[in-house]
Amino acid sequence: MNYLLTGEEMRNVFLKISKDFETYGTVEKEGEIVFDRVEDFNQISERRSRYAPKEFLFTRNENVLLLQEQEKKAIFGIKSCDLKGFYLMDKQVLGKDPFYTEKRKKTFFVNFVCNEPCDGGFCSSFGGPVLEDYDLQILKLGERYHVMVSERYKKYFDSFKKEDDSVFAEFRERFNSEMSLLPVDGIENRMKWETPLWKKFASRCISCGACNFSCPTCYCFDLYDDHDERRREWDSCILSGFTSSSAGNVRKELNERLRQRFYHKFVYFKKSQDAYLCTGCNRCVEDCPVDIDIKEVITDDYSEE
Amino acid sequence: MRIVRRTDEAPGVHTIEINSRGDGRSGQFFMVSVPGVGEAPISVASGFGRNTLFTIRNVGSVTSHMNKIDTMGVRGPYGTKWPWKEYEEILAVTGGIGIPPVRSLIEEINDSGKGRKLEVLYGAKTPEDIIYKTEIERWMKKVNVHLTVDSGDENWTGRVGLVTSIMKDAEVSKSAGVFIVGPPLMMKNVVKEALNLGYREENIFLSLERRMECGIGVCGHCNVGEFYSCEDGPIFNYHKVKHQKELFL
Repeated sequence: MNYLLTGEEMRNVFLKISKDFETYGTVEKEGEIVFDRVEDFNQISERRSRYAPKEFLFTRNENVLLLQEQEKKAIFGIKSCDLKGFYLMDKQVLGKDPFYTEKRKKTFFVNFVCNEPCDGGFCSSFGGPVLEDYDLQILKLGERYHVMVSERYKKYFDSFKKEDDSVFAEFRERFNSEMSLLPVDGIENRMKWETPLWKKFASRCISCGACNFSCPTCYCFDLYDDHDERRREWDSCILSGFTSSSAGNVRKELNERLRQRFYHKFVYFKKSQDAYLCTGCNRCVEDCPVDIDIKEVITDDYSEE
Repeated sequence: MRIVRRTDEAPGVHTIEINSRGDGRSGQFFMVSVPGVGEAPISVASGFGRNTLFTIRNVGSVTSHMNKIDTMGVRGPYGTKWPWKEYEEILAVTGGIGIPPVRSLIEEINDSGKGRKLEVLYGAKTPEDIIYKTEIERWMKKVNVHLTVDSGDENWTGRVGLVTSIMKDAEVSKSAGVFIVGPPLMMKNVVKEALNLGYREENIFLSLERRMECGIGVCGHCNVGEFYSCEDGPIFNYHKVKHQKELFL
C-alpha cells in the first residue's frame, strides 16, 4: 500500500513505531555515517552508511553456543541496495541459521530510496532502487514522503493519505534513465571458467577479503572454538584456507578463489536460488584497495581465451 | 557424549564408540567436536540404531585430539544417505579412510533383513593400513568383499594393485548401484572405470568430502558448484554433478 506524508506526519509515524521497537538510524559520527540509536526522525541522515548494516542480522563475531532472545528493532535509513542484501541472504540462511532467523523476525527495516544514482553504483541492474520486497520503503521528493508499506506494518499508516503507484513508477523510469543498465541477464551462461579475467584480477588482488566483508550479501562464516565458546566469524572465500581440508584444497590458487566469488554471485546462486547474489551497491569496488571491479565481470564479453 | 570404547584399526586410525543409539543413516555424517579445539565432520561408521561409531584418522587439529578425550560433542546427523533401498544389487567401491560409510552400509543392509546383493571392493595402501580387519572376515560370510593393496608385504597373499584393477571382477550386474567413497583421485578413476565397464552414470553415487563447518548449508565452505556438500550431499548422484568443474578437487 502507498501513502503520501508530510515531514511532520513522518515524524509522528516514527514516534508510533518507536513505542513498539528499539529505533536505530543512520547518523553522522566523526565524519562517517553509521547506525546508532535514534529518538527522532529528524536525526536520521539521508546519506548512505559507511558500511553495509549486515551486523544487524549477521554478527561479525559471536558465540553460537547461546541463542539469546532479541529485542524488536526498527532500522531507519538503510539504503535499498543494502536492504536487498538481506532479502538475498534470506534465500540461503533464513530458517536454517537460528541466530540470523531470530534477529530477522524481529527487525523492521525502513529503507530510503536514493533520489539520484550514486557514483559507481549499479543497483538498477539488480532491481533497485525501488524494491519489490520491503517492510517500509520511503522515497523523499522535495519535502514530501512517498511511502510503500507492507501488509505487516500497514497499521502505522491507517490515517494517512493513500496514493497510487504512479509516483514510484515515474521515479523509477527517471532513475533508470540516469543510471545505465548493465547486461546482467543471462550472465550465468556467458561467464567462462577459463578466461584471462580471473588471472588479471589475481595479479593484483592482495587477499584482504574487504570485498566479502563490505558486501551486503556475503553470508559465509568460519566456526572455531575459543576456550568454552564456539564462535563464528565472517569469512572470506578469497582466503586460501577457506576450502582446505584433509582431502586437499579445491582452490589453491588465488585466481580460482576469485572465480569462485564471482561464480557464486552470478552462476551458482542463480542456479540454486534463482537470483543473482549482488545488489549493485558497488561497496566491494569502493573498498577494494587494488581496484578490482565486479562490473567488469558483468560487462566482459568473454571472447578472450 | 561419552566415549565407551576405542579400537585401534591401523596406524593413525582408530574407531570410537559413543554411548548413544545412532540415528544416522549410512552415508550421513555428524559434526563431532573436542571442546576448546573445534569441530570436524565425521561419517557414520555404524548401522542405523546401533551405538554410533566413528572411525577417525588423526590428521587435523580436532581429529588428532580424539584419542586423548573421554567425552566429545556430537551434532547431526547431516546430509544425504546412500540410496541402497532403490537397488537390488550394489557395488561399493572404497579406498583408504573412505571405508566407514561402507561399513555403515553393510550393517544397515544386514540389519534391515531386506535381501540385497552387496559386493564391496576395498583398496588400502598396505596390508597394515586395512581398516576393520577382523570385521571384514565376518562380513565375508554374507557379503562378497574383494581386497587389494597398493603394495603388499611378505605375508600378503591377496591382490596387489589399485582398486580400479579389480572392478572388472565384480559379479553384480551392470544395473547395480555403484557407491564410491575414497580419496578424490581414486574416485575419479573409479567413476571412469565404472563407466568403461558399462555401469550407468545415473546409478553411480559419490561421497564428496569438502571442508564442512556448519553442516546445515549456511557457512558457505563446502560448495560443489551450486550445491553444498553438507546439505545436498555428501552423497551425490554422479549424473547430477558430473559437469561440476571442481568435482574431484
